[in-house]
Amino acid sequence: MTTPRAQLAARVAAALLGGYVFAWGFIAAGMSLLFAAGMEFHDAEFLASALGLLAFLAVFLWAFAARRVWLVWAALAGGGALLAVVGSFTQAALLGGAGA
Amino acid sequence: MFQSFRLAMAWVHTWFGLVLGFVLMAAFFFGALSVFDREIDRWAIPSTRFAPQPMPSFDAILRPAFESMQPTPEAIAEMRPRVDGPMPQRFDTVESWSAYTTHRDPVVALYAGFDVPNAKDPEEAIWAYRTIDPRDGAALPDDHLKIGSGFFYPMHYSLTLEWRSLGYWIVGLAALTMLAALVSGVVMHRKLFREFFTFRPDKAALRSVLDLHNLTGVVALPFHFFFAFTGLVIFAGIYFPVGHTQLHGLHDLHERLEADETGLPHERAGTPAALASVDAMVEEAQRRWAARGMAGDVGFLALTHVGDANGYVSVYRAGTDRIALTGEGIHFKAATGEVLREDPPPTAVGRVSEFLTGLHLQHFRHWLLRGLYVLGGLAGCACIATGFVFFVEKRKRQHAKQGTQGARVVDALAVTTITGMVLAALSILVANRLLPGDLPARGDWEQRVFWFAWLFALIHASWRSAPVARGERNPAWREQCWAIAALAVFAVLANWIGTGDALWRTFATYWPVAGVDMALLATAALATFAARRLKADAVVIATQGRTVAVPEAAHG
Amino acid sequence: MADAVMLLGALIACVVGMGWLALAMEPHARQVWGRALPTSRSTLLRTLGAFGLALALSLCLAVDHASMAVLVWIMALALAALLTAFTLAWCARWLRVLAPWIVP
Repeated sequence: MTTPRAQLAARVAAALLGGYVFAWGFIAAGMSLLFAAGMEFHDAEFLASALGLLAFLAVFLWAFAARRVWLVWAALAGGGALLAVVGSFTQAALLGGAGA
Repeated sequence: MFQSFRLAMAWVHTWFGLVLGFVLMAAFFFGALSVFDREIDRWAIPSTRFAPQPMPSFDAILRPAFESMQPTPEAIAEMRPRVDGPMPQRFDTVESWSAYTTHRDPVVALYAGFDVPNAKDPEEAIWAYRTIDPRDGAALPDDHLKIGSGFFYPMHYSLTLEWRSLGYWIVGLAALTMLAALVSGVVMHRKLFREFFTFRPDKAALRSVLDLHNLTGVVALPFHFFFAFTGLVIFAGIYFPVGHTQLHGLHDLHERLEADETGLPHERAGTPAALASVDAMVEEAQRRWAARGMAGDVGFLALTHVGDANGYVSVYRAGTDRIALTGEGIHFKAATGEVLREDPPPTAVGRVSEFLTGLHLQHFRHWLLRGLYVLGGLAGCACIATGFVFFVEKRKRQHAKQGTQGARVVDALAVTTITGMVLAALSILVANRLLPGDLPARGDWEQRVFWFAWLFALIHASWRSAPVARGERNPAWREQCWAIAALAVFAVLANWIGTGDALWRTFATYWPVAGVDMALLATAALATFAARRLKADAVVIATQGRTVAVPEAAHG
Repeated sequence: MADAVMLLGALIACVVGMGWLALAMEPHARQVWGRALPTSRSTLLRTLGAFGLALALSLCLAVDHASMAVLVWIMALALAALLTAFTLAWCARWLRVLAPWIVP
């Protein structure tokens, strides 16, 4: 079984790296969806970023409190990637529609 | 892996707090100093010790200054890797000229951005900077370092580590840690309300240090949280550059739409055009603000696409009386002076954004609030410092028994980050007064003194830290306190002798310099008090060749 | 000038209000008067404390517009809490002056 030190390292990595990926995805999805809904671009960027930073804080702490570290990785890295895809998908839809 | 939620939070608080606490101390301390950064600039550059000035006339003062600005050889060399082909030595296509001033600035900062021909990135720009006396346009020498706004301020948000924005990332991680430490601290502190006012200096060191840690953390909790959070929000574009990478398609789409909607051209037309009277445009802008019941000074003046038919002039109102930095922008066609656009009132989200940014960057006129901000910053420093002291106190006897060095290392680093950092700040001020006035690259030398002083404090703290490995106190604390007291008084004397601005004179005539001198004297007094207190606490008894520290019993 | 006077008033109201809130707490009442207070006295002190803080906020709002006033008030609360804590730690008896109707 992994040593306590290795387990801690995994937690810290999950909190920082997984948390960062999650926050990025949150911001990408948030920004593009808000813009698609009609919010001004820089407003959407700001609001998504501010909320994304708070989300980072929340998942960062959760990464240490959660029982199973694999769940943390799945939720943060996986969830973040999924949210990022939502962001890109929304962008494509908006750009395709604008015919630019 | 942790037995409970509270234990998990305690682990995060202790270990992230310890590791990033050293960075946070710098962010809070230099942040507190940055509240009065321009006043520190006045102390450091005696030739700027005159009253704050409004934005000067563009036609008479700013334009000649702008026209003579070119990037420095260093800036050109730094740009070279980003250019394909020959590197020009002169830049003639001016993308923007801008000037920024606040109610506290005697001097005006000028920025000129130039197009870079043959650049790999078509949007690339090279910058020139200058500071001028607004009364006559005379330029301030480049190597007069603005110790407040040009050193302490960047120190607090980037540790002046510009290489690949590494310093920004480190401070950003520290800010995230601060937020995590606040939340986890609240989770750990079961008696938050019951012990709101609790401080028991007469109890054992561990208890009284923890009391002080909790007190300084809780009473200014909104301050600590909001400053860490808004700091992250301000630099969110660095940490999460989504709009310039993954979603740059949306960003570009928005820019095109916005250019169409606002009538402010995004690109140059390519045909040259003259510049109408900008002073007349400024007058018109001020007239319009007054008509809206918002009479005010010009905070920011910007010319875009200079010399081109598509050029426009933007005039922004200084946010002296509100939290927002600047606002109410009015844009004029550069060639004719006609109004192209008045910025509409900000959206609700826009107002929140302005509030959060302005709350942190504080360009407003409110001396009480500024003073309270310094208090908050120092409370944050006290919180972090007592955190370190608690960590060491809790473990040093145990480590002494086990023969491990952990507590000793942390203690030496704590001395370096607390008293050592203050010593470094004082050293740069003293160097500022002692170095020859015409020394080339004077600002670089001042910075070297700063870093060497801090390094010396680290060496001293480490060298003197052996007692901690025996479970006792490091004498470096007391010794560096005495050094702080001496240096702070010396700085005040050096200012008086070097510039003739004695405190009793500036007290009545020029409060920025008087304020810095008084803060220095207060620092000396506090350091003296601390040094004497530390001496009274540790009564050294020589027993059988071993020294034993008797803490707290001999309270002075 | 009027602004400065009102802000000073706000600071004083914060300090006095925080003092009253502290005195309403049993451990601090003991520090100041050597005994716990009956519930009615504590409740009165707590009410006075809340009133003091509210008065401070209204004075802040009279001087600056809302976004700045709230910041000034929150920071003044921090200063007042610190002063109260340090007074309790080193010269607790000074706080007796805030509730002169209570006999030690």
